[in-house]
Amino acid sequence: MQVVMRQMQTDWFGPLAVTVLAVAIIGTAAPPFLSTLNVQVLLFALATNTLIAFSQMIIIAVGQMNLSVGAIGGLSAIAFAGMMQVWGLPAPFAAVLALGIGIAAGALNGIFIARTGISAFVITLASLSVFKGINSGITRAQPFYGIPETVKAFGNNVMIGPLPWLILPTVLVILGLWFLLNRMPLGRAILAVGGNTHAAELSGISVSFTVVAAHAISGCLAALAGIMLVARLQIGQPSIGDDWLILSFAAPVIGGAVLSGGHVSVAATVLGVAIVAIITQALVLFHIDPYLVQVVLGAMILWAVGVNRWRELRIAKSAKRI
Amino acid sequence: MLAVAAGVTLLAGGVRADDTKAALVPGGPHPYFAAWEQAGKDAVRDFHLSSADYKVPEKWELNAQNQLLESLVSQGYNAFLVFPGDPVGSASTVAELADTGAPVLAIGGCLKDPSMAGFCLGTDVAHSAYLGTQQLIKVMGTGKKRIAHFTGFLVDPNTQLRIDAVKKAAEEAGDEVVQVIADIDAPEPAQEKINAYLAAHANDVDGIVTTAWVPAVVASNALRKIGDKRIKMVAIDHDQVVLQAVKDGFVAGTMLQNPYGQGYIGAFAADKLRNGCTVKADAPWKANALTSHFIDSGTVFVAADKVDTYLEAMQGITKDLLSTFQATYLVCKS
Amino acid sequence: MQGRGTSTTRVEPDEVLVRASPTGSAGGLRFYLTNEFGLLVLILLFGAVFAVLSGGFLSTFNQFTLWRTAAVNTVIGFAMMTVIVTGGLNLAVGAIGVCAAMMCGWMIQALGVPGPVGIVGALALGATLGFVNGWVVVKSGLHSFIITLATMSIFFGVMVYLTHGESFRNLPPSFAEFGRTRYFGVVSPMLIVALVAGLLLIGLYRFTALGREMLSAGAKPEAAELSGVRVGRVFILCHMLSGLLAGVAALLLVMRNGAAIPSMAGQLGQDWLLPAFLGPVLGGTLLSGGRVSVVGTFLGSALVTMLTSGLLLLRIGEFWVQACLGLVLLLAVLIDVARKRYLAHRRMV
Repeated sequence: MQVVMRQMQTDWFGPLAVTVLAVAIIGTAAPPFLSTLNVQVLLFALATNTLIAFSQMIIIAVGQMNLSVGAIGGLSAIAFAGMMQVWGLPAPFAAVLALGIGIAAGALNGIFIARTGISAFVITLASLSVFKGINSGITRAQPFYGIPETVKAFGNNVMIGPLPWLILPTVLVILGLWFLLNRMPLGRAILAVGGNTHAAELSGISVSFTVVAAHAISGCLAALAGIMLVARLQIGQPSIGDDWLILSFAAPVIGGAVLSGGHVSVAATVLGVAIVAIITQALVLFHIDPYLVQVVLGAMILWAVGVNRWRELRIAKSAKRI
Repeated sequence: MLAVAAGVTLLAGGVRADDTKAALVPGGPHPYFAAWEQAGKDAVRDFHLSSADYKVPEKWELNAQNQLLESLVSQGYNAFLVFPGDPVGSASTVAELADTGAPVLAIGGCLKDPSMAGFCLGTDVAHSAYLGTQQLIKVMGTGKKRIAHFTGFLVDPNTQLRIDAVKKAAEEAGDEVVQVIADIDAPEPAQEKINAYLAAHANDVDGIVTTAWVPAVVASNALRKIGDKRIKMVAIDHDQVVLQAVKDGFVAGTMLQNPYGQGYIGAFAADKLRNGCTVKADAPWKANALTSHFIDSGTVFVAADKVDTYLEAMQGITKDLLSTFQATYLVCKS
Repeated sequence: MQGRGTSTTRVEPDEVLVRASPTGSAGGLRFYLTNEFGLLVLILLFGAVFAVLSGGFLSTFNQFTLWRTAAVNTVIGFAMMTVIVTGGLNLAVGAIGVCAAMMCGWMIQALGVPGPVGIVGALALGATLGFVNGWVVVKSGLHSFIITLATMSIFFGVMVYLTHGESFRNLPPSFAEFGRTRYFGVVSPMLIVALVAGLLLIGLYRFTALGREMLSAGAKPEAAELSGVRVGRVFILCHMLSGLLAGVAALLLVMRNGAAIPSMAGQLGQDWLLPAFLGPVLGGTLLSGGRVSVVGTFLGSALVTMLTSGLLLLRIGEFWVQACLGLVLLLAVLIDVARKRYLAHRRMV
């Protein structure tokens, strides 16, 4: 009993229960849902969406928000595609440069926030316009088509069974982020600054360095998501990133992240992404009136966070009783 | 202050023979309209306009387009070729443009009657979707077939017209539209929803018709990936991905529209309207769901055999339309 | 400083209105310390730059359309501001606005009610949806960000489901007339509506007990609760006010466009988010709650609208306008910080 109780207190228990329940219900009602092909499609969606959610999660951890994740991802994506098409750079080289652009863009956000003391919301709102504007200025809304076959293959082929190659970088990032947040001084500094900036500063943590580092990581993850989407979509679409904002917040929050900072969970965020992806798929599977899709999606998000909240309150109560 | 004075004289400058400054304004950034830029340049060269510039709103947003149009008036543009950001909501801005004395034409898409636009030169979206579905039905062969329809934003009224037209064509042939997936004009959700659908229901459909740019691209790639040529598909527009898929046989064909012709002929007509011509009241106008002053800029079904020459086919249509345009649709002095 | 001299002497009808409010609300040396003064300087500065660099900027047509757009952006900014007061956000402003607009169109076109009744219906729906937001936020204790993220999707989805994306355009001609009317060639009645809304809000926050409760509840909810303010009820009212103002903004757009259109605020109403935050944030409304600047929100919205208009006129290429706008915004907030630091430093010495 105690083991169950302890498990229930972890962040990932609620989302995991929801995920398992959803898979069970949908799998029973519509068997094709569990087919290899469909699982593969789910994994494709998970691969990129997880990175998008992480790039927001790391900023939520430090107690801020980053409205420019989509703009950074889009800019890196078209930079990646453009460097391969226009300059003919080899894919790995272009990918590294594009990641560099993402890191630089994120670090710029962080430097402005740390040095001026203006809220992250305002800075990233402005930089969102700058990054998205540079994207439109370069592409004039035209996609880049010159994507090498190797990149397309990476984005669309499978390793074994339903496992796509695309999931590989995501798994590495999941492990890396978990290690960072749980085992490394920088990760602990990020959570400490998010939890209580003043106390963190008193305990000798450099707040500005931590903030800049968190934003650089966020930019790097957004860029990686953008690059992977180019591989997946097989074109450098300038509109990549335009609709990341809602997802980027929804998944970490469904995963129990506290928006005021200091508390995030890598595993629960992955489950949050999975829940959103499963809902999206289920709506298509069950032929739900397209006009109602938005409503169901909103209601499900509300329901998921409601459950999460209820769990929190219950745990708080039982803790008091003990 | 000098610059201000110069600006005022620029605005108040008298009407000279060839001072037509036309602006071609799409609803927002979209690859479909890219041909307008060349169309404007060609029109300047061929019809001796002062300029015909392709001006794109920064975002696909009615308010952004309105702001750009207002700014263009202040910049001294005096003829407007507009893809209405909204067939109803753009009417008010178009009326304001027309109030400045500039001819305004709706190209690419129409305004809902009544409006101040001279006429609408564009693709009949419902008709194009209807013809595309018929082509699909032809390719699928005999027997009762199941069709999936992938289309764009639901807030775009054209989406409903397309859904209805596809349904009508299917029902006439005794076929069934088993699924409509809409709201997928952005690549990521399109990728997710179309692949999810095909993963689960690939065996439940015989044909796919797409009536928006992004879904056409994504569905083409998805069919190539599956590699199964049993499912037939008719796409829309001329994205490279789609054309290549048609060539390789994964897609039966694509419904091409004529954006170049819309821009080129539109600029020609706007120049004429500024120089003594008026729109003929009793011209052989077509009617569509929005307006009774509609001119079809042409739509062609392109299958694998015509992919390499589609540009010439479209230019042929443009040339034909232009050769009789003035006599058919305009009344000119002298 | 020749340029600034000429720009301050050139008094335009709407600028008089703009300037009247800050001088009325603050006086003496403290006035120069305010955000509002900084914004005013920026507006005049950029106005002068655009006037010199581009011919059409000062034309009556451009000034008319500029301030008309600014009016709508201002009211959208007010709608967000009233919730920012609570330390929260309302991502659903756009969705609520579109729902209200469609309600107005539906009542007039389908039910055949007269225009004013349709307007009242729209505003009532706006306030009701705001109430739903507020009630859920207060009762669940969750952050308004995630609640309004979800309700944005729900409100908009229900609207699209009910209307099937169809516009309502059979509105009384007086609606479109209102959007196109020009007093003295430059002043839109829409600007007057925005200014009246601003004055009412100033009155609310400055002179009523409820307004002061909103501010104190937003600044320190626990302390306010102890001193007898029913914080939950006050927060719900803030959300209702936000919904109401979103309805006003939507109605202005209906009159501007002559029709109620489901796409007028973009997919999910997201297009309103940028103007909704820019005005209050530039205007000095604290995101953590408890401090509000009505005049600042107006000036902030006006500055952004003017920058957009000016950048378009300078023909730097439409595709680069957004990047420039972002840079200028960054610059504006940086200048603002520098100004505050300088003034704080001087005061200490």
